[in-house]
Amino acid sequence: MKKAYIIGIIMIIAGIGFLISSASDVSTYANFKEAKGNSTVKIAGFLVKNKPIVYDPNVDANLMTFFMEDKDGEIMKVTYHDSKPQDFEMSESLVVTGKIREGEFVASDILLKCPSKYKDQEFMLRENG
Amino acid sequence: MEEIQYFGEHLWPKNIGHFLIILGFVSALFSAYSFFKSTNERLKTGDESEDSESEAWKRLGRLGFAFHGLSVFGIITIIFYIMVNQFYEYAYVSQHVNDFLPMKYITSAFWEGQEGSFLLWMFWHIILGFVVMVYGKKWEAPVLSLLALVEVILISMILGIQFEIGDSVVKIGSNPLLLFRDTMDIPLFQNADYVSLLSGSGLNPLLQNYWMTIHPPTLFLGFASTVIPFCFAVAGLWVKEPRAWIKPALKWSLFSGGILGIGILMGGAWAYEALSFGGYWAWDPVENMSLVPWLLMVAGVHSLLIANGTGRGIKTSYILLSLSFIMILYSTFLTRSGILGDTSVHAFTEMGLENQLVLLVALFTIIPAVVFIMRRKIVPSQEDDKFNSREFWMFIGAIVLLFSSILITASTSLPIYNKIAEIFDPGFTGLVIQEPITHYNKHQIWIAIFIVLLSSSAQFLRYNGRVTSTFKKKLLLHAGISVAATIVLTFIVNIWLDINSVPYFLLMLAGIFGIVSNVDYFIAFNKLQWKNSAGVLSHLGFSIMLIGIIASGVNKRHISKNEFVFRDIMEDENLKKKVTLIKGKPIFMSGYWVDYQRDTLIENERTYDIKFTKVDSNNQVLEEFMVNPVSVYSNDKTEIVAFNPSTKRYLHKDIFTHIAGLPAQVLKLEYSKEMEDSLVYQPIEVGLNGSYENDSLKVTLNGLDYDPRHQDYEPKENDLAIGFHIQVTDKIYDKQYDLKPVVVLRGAVVYKYYDEIPDLNMRIRANEAFFERFFTMESELEYQQFVIKEGESITIEDVQIVHNGFNKTPKNRGYKAEEGDIAIASILSFRTNGKTKNLEPVYLIRGSRQSSIKDYDPETGVHFKFTQIDPATGELTFQFAKDDRNSIQVPMEIAMNVPRSDIIVIESIEFPGINLFWLGSLMMLTGMLVAMGIRLSSRKVMD
Repeated sequence: MKKAYIIGIIMIIAGIGFLISSASDVSTYANFKEAKGNSTVKIAGFLVKNKPIVYDPNVDANLMTFFMEDKDGEIMKVTYHDSKPQDFEMSESLVVTGKIREGEFVASDILLKCPSKYKDQEFMLRENG
Repeated sequence: MEEIQYFGEHLWPKNIGHFLIILGFVSALFSAYSFFKSTNERLKTGDESEDSESEAWKRLGRLGFAFHGLSVFGIITIIFYIMVNQFYEYAYVSQHVNDFLPMKYITSAFWEGQEGSFLLWMFWHIILGFVVMVYGKKWEAPVLSLLALVEVILISMILGIQFEIGDSVVKIGSNPLLLFRDTMDIPLFQNADYVSLLSGSGLNPLLQNYWMTIHPPTLFLGFASTVIPFCFAVAGLWVKEPRAWIKPALKWSLFSGGILGIGILMGGAWAYEALSFGGYWAWDPVENMSLVPWLLMVAGVHSLLIANGTGRGIKTSYILLSLSFIMILYSTFLTRSGILGDTSVHAFTEMGLENQLVLLVALFTIIPAVVFIMRRKIVPSQEDDKFNSREFWMFIGAIVLLFSSILITASTSLPIYNKIAEIFDPGFTGLVIQEPITHYNKHQIWIAIFIVLLSSSAQFLRYNGRVTSTFKKKLLLHAGISVAATIVLTFIVNIWLDINSVPYFLLMLAGIFGIVSNVDYFIAFNKLQWKNSAGVLSHLGFSIMLIGIIASGVNKRHISKNEFVFRDIMEDENLKKKVTLIKGKPIFMSGYWVDYQRDTLIENERTYDIKFTKVDSNNQVLEEFMVNPVSVYSNDKTEIVAFNPSTKRYLHKDIFTHIAGLPAQVLKLEYSKEMEDSLVYQPIEVGLNGSYENDSLKVTLNGLDYDPRHQDYEPKENDLAIGFHIQVTDKIYDKQYDLKPVVVLRGAVVYKYYDEIPDLNMRIRANEAFFERFFTMESELEYQQFVIKEGESITIEDVQIVHNGFNKTPKNRGYKAEEGDIAIASILSFRTNGKTKNLEPVYLIRGSRQSSIKDYDPETGVHFKFTQIDPATGELTFQFAKDDRNSIQVPMEIAMNVPRSDIIVIESIEFPGINLFWLGSLMMLTGMLVAMGIRLSSRKVMD
């Protein structure tokens, strides 16, 4: 299969092309300081639990605000134009995607990491035990 | 430490189970070795007679595999037994079962855990192994030797052995039959009777649906089935029969491709139908790593078809089938080692099996590689393929699928590179893919275009490129017709779909060409013969599926956007996708009036009735329908843990609706209490049939209800529950509302249940001081005496009283029977205010003392005491008193500015043409199973 080699070479070239074109798809987690450059970034950090988490569907179903601390300890207010993800308050850590706008981080996406509520080494006792 | 003697533990499942696990492990090892010896003996001597050494080893191998199979079935049976009987002393039972788990979900609970899913996987391997044992003939020994070796590693995952090497503890596997007290050391286990205290956490409510019952077994059958073509490939080279393995491997590959595909598709259907993911595919790592083995299996099927048709492509088939199985193992490693971390929504939790999983992947990469290198010379080399031959283009197709798998795997393995980079550079911060969906689509769309073009044109060519000139003419004519038909159809479809992006437009064009040319091929070239229809069915299905993906993915549209709300100055147009609905207040969105009408709680599911009314520009009703999304409560009903969507289906589109949010106080009981506590209640007083008034409200009390219902109140015996018929008038809008708050006295505790008017942001409840006024102190009662005989009647004030006999075993709240008591109750029926009631005051002689125990009816306020019996005359003396119920002042409390709770946030999406996706993918996968069926039924002819 001599032709197979030719195909192989074409594939490798195409593959390298695809990889180069994907280089901009990946990035490291940024922090709030880096986010000030006005490009879309992903920031990993923690929910600040002693500051208010505001989501009131009575007012706006697409508006949530909360405070997040990045890995370097900087705290910033985050605005998310969507409904509040489930179990948001319980999240151990979170990753927000978005950019800074007028001193706030405006998130277009939020990924939560929640402690597994049902599994792990927990045990259940009978209520009337 | 002193050994504690525990009661109530069931130890035999553990003991038998441990024995079976060891037996299963040893017998698999024995079976693998015996089949290996059998294969090698035959290879050396070529002796296949009944009493040959090879046959003797084979019989031993069978025995070993049978023991292995029985052990695994035994372990599974024991785990089911302890789950069904709720032996919570076992960690696996306590983690996956609870008292409320319906039996129909017991299988789901079984494979929810890692150990259970490993057992499910082994179960299918054993079933498939038995099939090969019965029908495999000369392939039995080499195939089962490899399969048994796979089983050795898999069962080691549940071995649960620990030993020390130097300072480090080596753990092999995680045993599902461990007692709870063996897994953790907590004070609870100081209690010898701890078993009676234990309960279980149960199955995650998200997983309590029928998809969890059918998706895992199907997917695991798909996973398990990839091992068989792999074993045939390795066996083929091992026993130096490089061509003979192709036919059986082809049937098994078709089976595997079909079942694995259906398993993956079910996952998509589950995500779309029952979970609120808003789609069927999200390029999640777990999804990707089940897709990759399937792509490789499909590539393998095509490569095997070439090998079957022309004798070429044997090495390619070998590599593709090996890779498919290796990628199953790699995917197991990725999803079960915890390495995916926060990049996936459905990875298993870590269990310390990483090293074993790495060993599994490494071993089954090395084995086929070594066999390949040792036997590469025996595969005959062939002349080069011709450009105009079918096999050349099929080969290209297979390579492109391999290429697609490599790209997906490369991106999905990003967490692995991060881990490796961290080893060399501890300060390295991990890379992540910013927008996974865009990233994967960007490449795979071109691959899809290429594959659909190949799959629809290559079948017109012939193997070895044999072409006559009349055939060439026919081909050209049909190519012309197809291209013309494609252009016309694309024009029409684009009116429906309106695709603006160039790659998607090209994909649509290619997909339509695929449909046209497959139909053309089936009619004009295949002459409508069913025997060779399987390929057409699959390829046509693939083309239709692509159109479905474009229609539903690119063209999905949010209905839930409130056009009257001020649009934020955001770049991202996708924002603002959710709308708040208030119960009973329809709002208009994207051509529909949407009305949240009511909700009903049944067990732990709350169903919302939402009515969609489609209107034209003149507000004329075009169509009405209901959707019923659901919110699911936790097992203890204290919070909402999941939402199930509801979909209105049409032939040409779906309207998908789910609950995207609820007010905090509705989501969690804890928040509801917090909110109730934070409200400022203002006290008011309302007399019966009287009212309270301020500037904006008038509150009237229209009566009391002694048998009240309230959504939060669960009646118990001996409760005194009173409801208040309240009418509130909104003086500003002159609107009236009827309410019924409830107050309950249980023992000495008062429970207050509020009622509310969301429109006025108002709540009202009774003050606990109510009962102080409701009950008159005994010393303040004015009793009057009356005397009657049994059967006589008397009227006092407005109360007519009849003596209806005696009760010698009185049941009176105030009376507790003691040994030697002489107690007798009079049954007094009385009628007042149109109500007839019975009371039973008791006359008691205890020792030398005589006393009376009163009876009391809260509703009418009537008190009776039975104070004297004159045995001579039969005259009975009673004391009667009556509370004044008409002048009672009820202390109430009202709170204003209460956030309303009768709202829901919904997301509603229209997916056009999604049925094309389901239809197409089902056709594609059915085609593979049909192809297998055709090959099985004609096996005598073809073998």
